[in-house]
Amino acid sequence: MTTSTSPAGPTTAADLAAAGVAAGAAASPAAPGRGRPRRGPRRGRRPGPRPDEADRGALSPADWRRPLVRRSMRLSHGVLLALLVLCGLGPLVLLAKFAVTPTQDILRTPLAVFPNGVAWDNLSAAWNDVQVSRYFLNTVVLAAGAWASQILVATTGGYLLSVLRPRYAKVVQAAVLATLFVPAVVLLVPLYLVILDPPLLGRSLMNSYWAVWLPAGASAFNVLLMQRFFDSLPREVFEAARVDGAGPFRLFWSIVLPMSRPILGVVSVFAVIASWKDFLWPLLVLRDPDIQPLSVRLPSLQATTDLGVLMAALAISTLIPVLLFLVFQRLFLRGAGLGGAVKG
Amino acid sequence: MRSSRTTALALTGALSFTLLAACSSGSDDAGEGDGTSGGTTVLRVVSLLPGSEQEAFDAFDEQVAQFEAANPDIDVQPEEYEWKATTFAAQLAGGTLPDVFEIPFTDGKTLIENGQLADIDAQFQALPYADDFNPNVLEAGTGADGKVYAIPAKSVYGIGLHYNRALFEQAGLDPDDPPTTWDEVRADAKAIADATGQAGYATMTQNNTGGWQLTVASYARGGRVETTNDDGTYTATLDDAGTKEALEYLHDLRWEDNSMGANFLLDWSSINQAFAAGQVGMYTSGSDVYTSLVQTDAIDPDDYGLTAVPLEGDDAGVLGGGTLAAVSTSASEAQKEAAVKWIDFYYLRKLTDQDAAVKDAETLVASDQPVGTPVLPIFSQEQYDESQTWIADLVNVPLDQMTGFTDVIFDQPLVPEPAGSTQELYGALDTVVQAVLTDEDADIDALLEQADANVQAILDKNAG
Amino acid sequence: MALTHDAREARPRRTPVTWVRRGGLSTLVFALPLLVVFGLFSWLPIGRAVVMSLQETNLVTTAWVGLDNFRTVLADPLLATAVGNTLWFAALALLFGYPVPLLAAVLMSEVRRAKGLYSALAYLPVVVPPVVAVLLWKFFFDARPEGVFNTMLGWVGAGPVPWLQDADWAMPSLVLEATWAAAGGTIIIYLAALTSVPGELYDAAEVDGASVWRKVWHVTMPQLRGVLFITFILQIIGTAQVFLEPYLFTDGGPANATITVLLLVYRYAFGQSLGGDYGAATALSLMLAAVLAVLSVVYFRLTRSWSQT
Repeated sequence: MTTSTSPAGPTTAADLAAAGVAAGAAASPAAPGRGRPRRGPRRGRRPGPRPDEADRGALSPADWRRPLVRRSMRLSHGVLLALLVLCGLGPLVLLAKFAVTPTQDILRTPLAVFPNGVAWDNLSAAWNDVQVSRYFLNTVVLAAGAWASQILVATTGGYLLSVLRPRYAKVVQAAVLATLFVPAVVLLVPLYLVILDPPLLGRSLMNSYWAVWLPAGASAFNVLLMQRFFDSLPREVFEAARVDGAGPFRLFWSIVLPMSRPILGVVSVFAVIASWKDFLWPLLVLRDPDIQPLSVRLPSLQATTDLGVLMAALAISTLIPVLLFLVFQRLFLRGAGLGGAVKG
Repeated sequence: MRSSRTTALALTGALSFTLLAACSSGSDDAGEGDGTSGGTTVLRVVSLLPGSEQEAFDAFDEQVAQFEAANPDIDVQPEEYEWKATTFAAQLAGGTLPDVFEIPFTDGKTLIENGQLADIDAQFQALPYADDFNPNVLEAGTGADGKVYAIPAKSVYGIGLHYNRALFEQAGLDPDDPPTTWDEVRADAKAIADATGQAGYATMTQNNTGGWQLTVASYARGGRVETTNDDGTYTATLDDAGTKEALEYLHDLRWEDNSMGANFLLDWSSINQAFAAGQVGMYTSGSDVYTSLVQTDAIDPDDYGLTAVPLEGDDAGVLGGGTLAAVSTSASEAQKEAAVKWIDFYYLRKLTDQDAAVKDAETLVASDQPVGTPVLPIFSQEQYDESQTWIADLVNVPLDQMTGFTDVIFDQPLVPEPAGSTQELYGALDTVVQAVLTDEDADIDALLEQADANVQAILDKNAG
Repeated sequence: MALTHDAREARPRRTPVTWVRRGGLSTLVFALPLLVVFGLFSWLPIGRAVVMSLQETNLVTTAWVGLDNFRTVLADPLLATAVGNTLWFAALALLFGYPVPLLAAVLMSEVRRAKGLYSALAYLPVVVPPVVAVLLWKFFFDARPEGVFNTMLGWVGAGPVPWLQDADWAMPSLVLEATWAAAGGTIIIYLAALTSVPGELYDAAEVDGASVWRKVWHVTMPQLRGVLFITFILQIIGTAQVFLEPYLFTDGGPANATITVLLLVYRYAFGQSLGGDYGAATALSLMLAAVLAVLSVVYFRLTRSWSQT
């Protein structure tokens, strides 16, 4: 229920719940009927979702025919929908409204409907003077690098632990698993010092995007997710490829990765969202205002920027994530809810 | 297998190359090495507060251009900067401060002791006016060895009471007759609150500024929050009468008169913002805050008024402070030379040299930046008066709205900020001020006692 | 060299050549990103955290001080406040953020039309960047009568509430925003779990004549047990590390009413203008980690017997 405080992958309760159990669920779509999912071999696992059954809730068609049930459900659904619109959309609608309202109106009559006209120049001021565009770009660059870093480490690491399995795989896996149980707070200060004075490199990584990208890759959750997924891939395909003379790189690039599209999608969504939300870590290591992402820059602008312009800047910063969500809803919701498909 | 091995080697090569590239690229110019590139010294300096207006930045860039024209072997790179108690340490530790940076008087001694400021005594003594500094002011940047590590640079201020003339008028008060006693302040605050619904009086409460302003209020009533002992250690006196009186005053304004508005979590920049937006009638802050109000908060000059903080009681005084310019320890010799030259040009020359003063004023006026905001003398009183006459024609701040302050400030006793563990002391008082303003039943005695004990423990720990 | 052929098979010689031939080099290439990144940015810092907690350092001077840091932290009067506040936050967050999404998810799982609309609306707050949400809500919480929430309260005749400006109201205000921002995610998780409940179980219950309530209580809930248990402990672990909301809303105020353990760690390390006490900061973070670890172990032991499905 909290936001990510460290670069080591998503740490929200929701994400971790999905994480700890997503692998099992991710395994089944990729290899229906084949490969035995690691989780719960003794439980009565259904072979696959049957659409008509999965859609069935506690209420049977017979229940629905009863007027009492029907009416009370309609009522509660109506109330729920109203609440969702109010709570989910309400603040965002207000934000959009404030973005184009003159500051004095925001302060004096925030809920009135444009008593003194619309202030479209809030938006241009935010974009140009406050340079939201630049911070927005910084956020995108930061997210892209963090994504690449996480994908690289997770895929190669998962491949190593699942397919290549050298002698030291067990040790590495245990070490990675152990970090999963260390809360982000422990890493805060020492990681900061490592960035100040990295052991191998001569110079500090402070004020550089690498200070955010590199630690982002150290996500045990991603590695284990990938490993679980690779474990569920059918070994026969690998054997066939090996017989055909494919080396480990070929196997990785041409066989394993293309088969992993679903899980890559899930990891990517998590990675981008976590990067977009990241606050404390970029705050500490990105001191130069020019390279700060939106999440760090907006609070420091709060006390020096006109309220209307600030609201416009906030609105612009929210636009892209919301649009992305609306377009890629399925991907987001599948990733977020994947965890629930597995019990216990 | 052969192709696999080659691919392996190729990939290893690529990976190592990327790592090496990461080494060399990535972190940008942090002023390492000798800071020179092809004979030019690169000097990173503090410019303005983040979020300042474009015109302010333009004026600054113009001054950078003038300096670089006079010193072709120095390349000045400005960086936005705001000193905040909670972010400075991280910047210092992270080595991300510019080569020339600013610190308040209160931090000078400790940073010098910790070896975190470069020794610029040699370069400082070479300045033509090195002997003319007001000794009290120079003291803040002098180390125990008598050498100068930080130069008093700007914003040497006495605390003043800022008031909003427009709100005064709306409340039926005369903006040219600001209050001169604390009772008058209280009455005026109530009038403003009743007439306009805005906060008649406000005070900072966060990020150590709450303690800072409480100390101001305490000094103004004859209190002191800390005493220096003969052996160089400090004793906290947070629970003395002046401080208690100040807190009770705040309590009364807040809970009896309800003249302090509804939002109390304010720090230096947010109270400025609220004041400029017409939400605050009166507050105390440094006398030079007007510059920032113009550059960052777009205040309407007609609405601004400045008067002196009322002094009541024996030993009452006005808190004074200022800003030092210091040089980072990672600076090379060439950079230190360049740094002192910059400090001379940008901060000090305009106070001692008429041509420089006029040029500086003209540059600022050209970009509509404030010239003539009241400050206290870094050198002597006479020097200050003289420098004011040089730029008298170019002054564009409403000095006639500030006579309540400028008429009396030089006659008021100036009290320096507490010297030991200042920021931690202020931080402890932050909590007390916040409690008084948000909890009607706050026990002021108990809070002060607790804060006193906490601060004393810190003082003892830092001394030992 | 005197080994027989069979023995040599049983103990194959591993030389660098055979290692490379077996693809050991390429394996190492694959291992490199993980080892370097984890090594430098995960394992090394964890080790350093333990080391630093036993040292007194402000980066200028370093000295071994044993358990002094732990003693200093334990003696800090703010620690009790921070721990209390963190527990209070966690309790409130659990109160609002745990059952309410469950109820919503149960209702949503029965929706027959436009199910996607409900999910999208519920998840929308989760997508809003947390900093934007906090800054926006900070404005909503304006304590003047004209503040957004106070205006709304005025419509129903309730007085203006001090929100963030009062020690008693500040934490609940924080929890309100935090719940708004995170409930959607929890709803989606529950929803996914609900849709995977096997329909046969409901069929079987109906054959036994179960009413709607009994079906929900005796079929749905037990099937959800696993998810419920996991989200419970994860929520606790997450809320124990809350930083963003107290930092941006009130910076621990008013009068330390919202200072949390993580905010205290931040203050130790980064909050003092003249150098941080990194030893104390790492000591406190290790103590928090230890408490969470113990909590998790106890929790899993307790629930093991309950979550057998």
